[in-house]
Amino acid sequence: MAPRWKGKDAKSKKDAEAEALKEPMSKIISQLQSSFVQSNTCGFLSDNCVHLAVQGEQLDLLDKACFGRPVRIVEKDMYWFQLTLEEAFYLCYFLKCLEINGRADDSPLSNEELWRYFKSKKEAFPCFYKVYSHLRIKNWVVRSGAQYGVDFIVYRHHPALVHSEYGVLVLSHDNDADLNGRLSVWSDVHCSTRLLGSVAKTLLVLYINKNGQNDESPLCLANYTIEERTISRWSPEQCRERSVLTFLDL
Amino acid sequence: MEEKVCECSSNENSDYDDDEFYLQNASDEEDFQFSPGSLPKLQFRNTKSKGRWNEEMGMAELLEKNGKMWVTTGIVRKGKIYTSVEETLYLMELEAFDLLDNDDISISLSKMYEKVAGGKFGCCWELFEAYRHLKSLGYIIARHDVAWSLKSVRSSIKSSDLEGTEENKQLVDMVSKVEVSIDKLFGDLKINDLKPDFDVYLPNNRFRKSSPGDPNFLLYLSRGHPPSKAEIEVLERQCGGIPLKICLVTEGRVIFFSFDKVELPVLT
Repeated sequence: MAPRWKGKDAKSKKDAEAEALKEPMSKIISQLQSSFVQSNTCGFLSDNCVHLAVQGEQLDLLDKACFGRPVRIVEKDMYWFQLTLEEAFYLCYFLKCLEINGRADDSPLSNEELWRYFKSKKEAFPCFYKVYSHLRIKNWVVRSGAQYGVDFIVYRHHPALVHSEYGVLVLSHDNDADLNGRLSVWSDVHCSTRLLGSVAKTLLVLYINKNGQNDESPLCLANYTIEERTISRWSPEQCRERSVLTFLDL
Repeated sequence: MEEKVCECSSNENSDYDDDEFYLQNASDEEDFQFSPGSLPKLQFRNTKSKGRWNEEMGMAELLEKNGKMWVTTGIVRKGKIYTSVEETLYLMELEAFDLLDNDDISISLSKMYEKVAGGKFGCCWELFEAYRHLKSLGYIIARHDVAWSLKSVRSSIKSSDLEGTEENKQLVDMVSKVEVSIDKLFGDLKINDLKPDFDVYLPNNRFRKSSPGDPNFLLYLSRGHPPSKAEIEVLERQCGGIPLKICLVTEGRVIFFSFDKVELPVLT
């Protein structure tokens, strides 16, 4: 699928594409990483998400890199900001630019402690995080897919510049580990493909194989394997028309 | 900065996202109905073919050939043409085939429907509906792993690879493999053996049974639940690199899905 840049006409779409090319996501994330490291940013566990106070450059970079959402302005220029579990863990564990407090003495939690805490909040966290990081590492922007009934929506760059092409579901590689309860019946396949199709997106399924690892520690992630598959409806009527046309061209 | 926040909070629900709605494939909202009355009848006129049903083989042997559809229907063995139960029923529905029993009495359409419903002869009702849907669109369909003709088997053996009696031996082996598989396939349908059901070719008026080439895709009929990744892999291993499609038949509606392996590119 070709990327669908946003804009009211061909020119503004080209401008959006140019803007994305000028500032690739990898560069933005790298800037975010150094900015956060320098400022020793710290977040707080907040039930099913992570909160932090940010301002200025950091707020700007979080927005450009598409992490989280601002909750509210709390002081002059300072915002209360919210991250999902996956986003927070990615910043802490992979980008190593965020620390999270959760203790009385305000000392930061270790990655192992964070992992256990997040798992306790979300049983499927290990697989969801694996998918999140797998796609982020490839420099795709990954956001919640809740409004489309999927796990994630992915973009080639900032959602202000480009439409999302894929709705992502996280599944186990075999039927036994029923991670998500999704796509176990055909009605769900119909439902998901139709809904996503109506907003010009393809259903992308990421199958996780834990390869027998127990998920006590985030180190298990290295041994998870992922396979990507798209599930799409095929129309024999349309396909035939195309092949007949090709024949007529000869 | 404040303006930016307002933008953010008003977009909170859409999360910068597009609200682009359009109905793809609006035409597939209409059911592709196959009720006998609405199906355009092909003009066969005096070109009804004739054949005899062979219950042990689970196939019909063509006795009188009429019409152009024989280029893409039926398998050739020792100079004779045999049709599977689905091919036979399809032609009978179109009133293009007069099927006789051993006493030379015409077998009725309902008797043929019974044969398909029974699930013997390697076909079941849903498989027939899938076959009919594609066949009436001009696709060319074979049972998976059943050779169109023995000529096509012979031609797939490169003579440069073989010498003298070796060639004969290889040929005999391949032929017997094909014949054994036919016995298995036209016998009772085993639901649990996971293998593709049909080899499908795009409509092609240059199709030849003696050298059909590779199918454009292989088709598997879903037996109840969407396939798991492991099941798809079992099927794909038998496809030899040819794309696999999964079809689903519910109340006469035949729907096709692709579960294609992809790899999202690494972006900059």
